Amino acid sequence: MAEFTLDCLGEACPVPLMKTEKKMADLKVGDVLVVSIDHSCAMKNVPEWARKQGHNVEIEEIADGEWEVVIEKTK
Amino acid sequence: MNQFWLRISSNRFYKQLLKEPLSYVAGAVLLAVFATAHLAVFSKGWGVTSAFADWGAWVYELFGGNVDKWAYFSSEKAQKTLSGGFMNDGGSIRNLGIVLGALLATLFASEFKIKKIKSKKQVIAAVLGGLLMGYGARLANGCNIGALFTAISSLSLSGWIFGAFLFVGAFIGSKLLAKFFM
Repeated sequence: MAEFTLDCLGEACPVPLMKTEKKMADLKVGDVLVVSIDHSCAMKNVPEWARKQGHNVEIEEIADGEWEVVIEKTK
Repeated sequence: MNQFWLRISSNRFYKQLLKEPLSYVAGAVLLAVFATAHLAVFSKGWGVTSAFADWGAWVYELFGGNVDKWAYFSSEKAQKTLSGGFMNDGGSIRNLGIVLGALLATLFASEFKIKKIKSKKQVIAAVLGGLLMGYGARLANGCNIGALFTAISSLSLSGWIFGAFLFVGAFIGSKLLAKFFM
């Protein structure tokens, strides 16, 4: 049940999604990945992808134009 | 006062209209309505990048350059646009409107942020990508708006051909992206 972070601040689509996909492959079931994002369309496509994979996803708006997408690996 | 803004930010209509992104269908309908209105009002399909070529010519003229003899600007219409200046060019004003509109939308959603540059690679990629897109848009006689969206919605075959090659470019681009940014 480890927690990992992925800093995608300052990165535009589709880099955050590609990095998240890659990082999630390394995680074990039950691990949590926190992705920091400041690109509004990545805030849409990263959670969309993770939910489609069946993971648990939560989005937190931490500042103006800055989000943390919390993904729990479920399988 | 603070209370007032907090109340607005939790208002259902504020969230739906200004905070959350519109649905794809809502966006498509709005684009269709505005593209049709554009055609009806200006008797010309919506485009973006041809105005950028004029901006380039104006910048070049600022530095003492002269495009009078350039084939691209040789038509009477192009010369008239150039001599009319920025404020008399509908295309330039429309592009300015796109930028201002996008700024307003992020401000309304309170998502405005000046993003920091992460690496030199980003700068190089942005400059190279911008140059290629601008040059390509001139060769193709339009960008994904003028040559794709407007062409397809006017039932022109050229839009579909542009679209097919757009996929080729996007495929190569994504391979390069994975190679240099991952």
